[in-house]
Amino acid sequence: MKLWLAFIVVSLAFLVILDIILGIEGKSADIILRNPIAVFIAIILSATAAWLVWKGLIKQPFRRFSDNMKRFTEDGSDSRRDQYQKGEYGKLAASYKEMSAELDFLRSELKRSKDYLDGILESTSDLIITVSPDDKIISINAGAEEALGYQRQEVIGKPIQMLFVDPRDREKALRKMGPTDNIANYNTRFLTKDGQIKHVLNTISRVRDHSGNILFTIGISKDITEEKRLQIELIQSQRYAAIGQVFTGIQHSMKNMLNACKGGAYMVRLGLKKDDREMFTEGWEIVQEGISRLTDMSMAMLKYVREWKPKFEQVQIGDILSEIDRVIKKTAENKGIEFKLNLPPDLLPLTCDARMVHSVVMDIVSNAMDACTWKEYPKGESAKVEVGAYTSHDNQRMIIEIHDNGCGMTDDVKQNIFTPFFSTKSKSGTGLGLAITSRMIESHNGKIDVDSEPKEGTTFRIVLPRDATT
Amino acid sequence: MGKKVLVVDDDVNTVRFLSVALEEHGFEAIGAYDGVEGMEKIEAENPDLVILDVMMPKKTGFVLFKQLRKDERYKDLPVVMLTGVAETLEDLDTKSEDTHERPYDSLRERLRDTIKAMSQDGLVKPEMFIDKPIEPEEVVAKVAELLKD
Repeated sequence: MKLWLAFIVVSLAFLVILDIILGIEGKSADIILRNPIAVFIAIILSATAAWLVWKGLIKQPFRRFSDNMKRFTEDGSDSRRDQYQKGEYGKLAASYKEMSAELDFLRSELKRSKDYLDGILESTSDLIITVSPDDKIISINAGAEEALGYQRQEVIGKPIQMLFVDPRDREKALRKMGPTDNIANYNTRFLTKDGQIKHVLNTISRVRDHSGNILFTIGISKDITEEKRLQIELIQSQRYAAIGQVFTGIQHSMKNMLNACKGGAYMVRLGLKKDDREMFTEGWEIVQEGISRLTDMSMAMLKYVREWKPKFEQVQIGDILSEIDRVIKKTAENKGIEFKLNLPPDLLPLTCDARMVHSVVMDIVSNAMDACTWKEYPKGESAKVEVGAYTSHDNQRMIIEIHDNGCGMTDDVKQNIFTPFFSTKSKSGTGLGLAITSRMIESHNGKIDVDSEPKEGTTFRIVLPRDATT
Repeated sequence: MGKKVLVVDDDVNTVRFLSVALEEHGFEAIGAYDGVEGMEKIEAENPDLVILDVMMPKKTGFVLFKQLRKDERYKDLPVVMLTGVAETLEDLDTKSEDTHERPYDSLRERLRDTIKAMSQDGLVKPEMFIDKPIEPEEVVAKVAELLKD
C-alpha cells in the first residue's frame, strides 16, 4: 500500500519537475523567479517520496527483520523466515535464512549433545560433584543424590566439606594434586545425610579457563563401601583360616609327641604296678622322647618367627657341601642310600651366611633321604641322593641342587611344603623344617623351587646371589 | 596264648607300648614298621586282627587296607585304624560339604575324601578309627570288642 502511495507521489513530483524543465526552455534566466512555488512543491514531493520509499522498502522490513532475529535468538522461532522479499534485501534475507537454518541445526546439535551428557551424568551410579573455587557445591548428579541421601537443592551453594567424614580430606586431596590438576583414586569417606559412612575412590580434576583461572573442580567418586566390607570380611576369614591352619598343624605335629607321652606313661604306670623296673625305665624313656620332641618343636616355632639376619662372609660352597658329605655319608649308607656329591673343579666363591646355607642344604638332604626310605624300590633300582653346585652363566648366582629318586610328591603336597606345620611325616620332624629353610633363603635374597613326580623323585633347586650384600 | 594282633606303625614307640598293653590283656602281639612289612607279617603270621597306622612309609595304611579287602583270604580280617581323622569321619554325615573349615589342609581333605569313598563302598565304619594320641587301654578295649565271639 505504502509502495503505491510512494509511486503516486514520485509520479507527481516527476510531472512537476518536467513542467519546470519545459518552462525553463528558452527562459532560463528567470526560472526560479518564475515558479518558486512549483519548485518548492517539487522538493516537498520528492522528499516525501524518498521518505516513503525509505520507510516502506528499508526501515520497516529491517525492523521486522530485526524483530524476527530477536525472537529467533530468544526462542529459536522465525515464522516469517520464508516471506522475505527479493532484491538486495532479498539477498540479505536469503543469507539470513541460511544462517538461521544453520543456527537451528547447531542449536539442535547442542541440545542433543547436552542431553547426551546429562544422560551420562544422571544415569551413572558414580557420584559426580562440581565445586566452585571457593569450595561451594555447584552441582551434584543423581548418583550422588542416591548415594548420599541429599536432594541437590539441599547441598548446592553449601561448602563441599559437609560431605566428608573428615573435612580435611578434601584439602589433603587437593594438596596431593600437584601441577597436574588431577588426582585419581583418592581413598576417602563421605558422610550421608543420615550419618552413614560411604567409602569412596575419589578422582578430582581442576577445570581452568584460557587464562589459567580455576573455573571449578569436578570430583567423580566411586562408592566402594560394599567392596570394602567384603574385603574386610575376606581378610577376617583368611585370618581365621590361617590361624586354623596353624592350630591344625600344631595339633598334627603335637599328637605324635603326645602319643609317645601317653604310651610311655602307660608303661611307667604298668611298671610301677607290677614292680617291673625294666618296663618302668622303658616307659620313662618313651615319655622323655616325647617331651624332647615337644621341646624341639617349640624351639623351631621360635626359630621360624625370629628375624633372620645373615652374617655374610665369603666362602667356598664346595667346603660346606663337602662337610655335609662327610657327616651324611655314613647315615645314608646305613639306610641303604647312595649319597653322591658333584662339584665342578673351579667354583667361584659365594658370599653368604655359611651356617644358614649348611643348615638349609642339610635339611633338604635329610628330607631327600626320608623320601628314599618311604619308597618301595622296584628290583634293579636303588635309593640315591645327589648334591651339586654350579654358577649361572653370568656368574651372578650360585645354584645348589639336591636330587633324590625317592617317593616324590603330588602337586598339592608340593604346593604346601613351605607352609608351617604342613608335614607328611607324622612321626618325625616339627613341620617347620622347610618353612624355616625358605625363610633363611629369603634372608639371602635367594629363592628355592622344586620339581617332583610321585614315585619318580624330587629335585630342590636353591638359587643364591653370589653376593647377597650388594 | 590269646588271639594274635599285628600292630603296624612306623613309630617304634607306638608298636612297643601297644604290644605291652595287648600282652597285658592276654593277646599275642607282633609288630611291623611299614606297609610292605605289614603285608608280609599278615601272610606269615595270619593275625586275628590288625592295628594299622595310616601314614606309613612304602605303603600307607589305606593302601594296605584296600589290598586286604580285595584279597579273598583277608577280606573279613578285622582292622583298627590309627588316624587323626576319626573326628573328621564323624563329621562326614553332618557337614560333609563344608570344605571351608580347613581350607589349606589339603592332605586332611584328601584323607577325608578317601574315607568318604571307602565308607560309601561299605568298606569302613567310624568305629574302626581311633585318633592319635591314643590311650593304650582304649585300643585294647576296642580290640577285645572286635574279637569277642
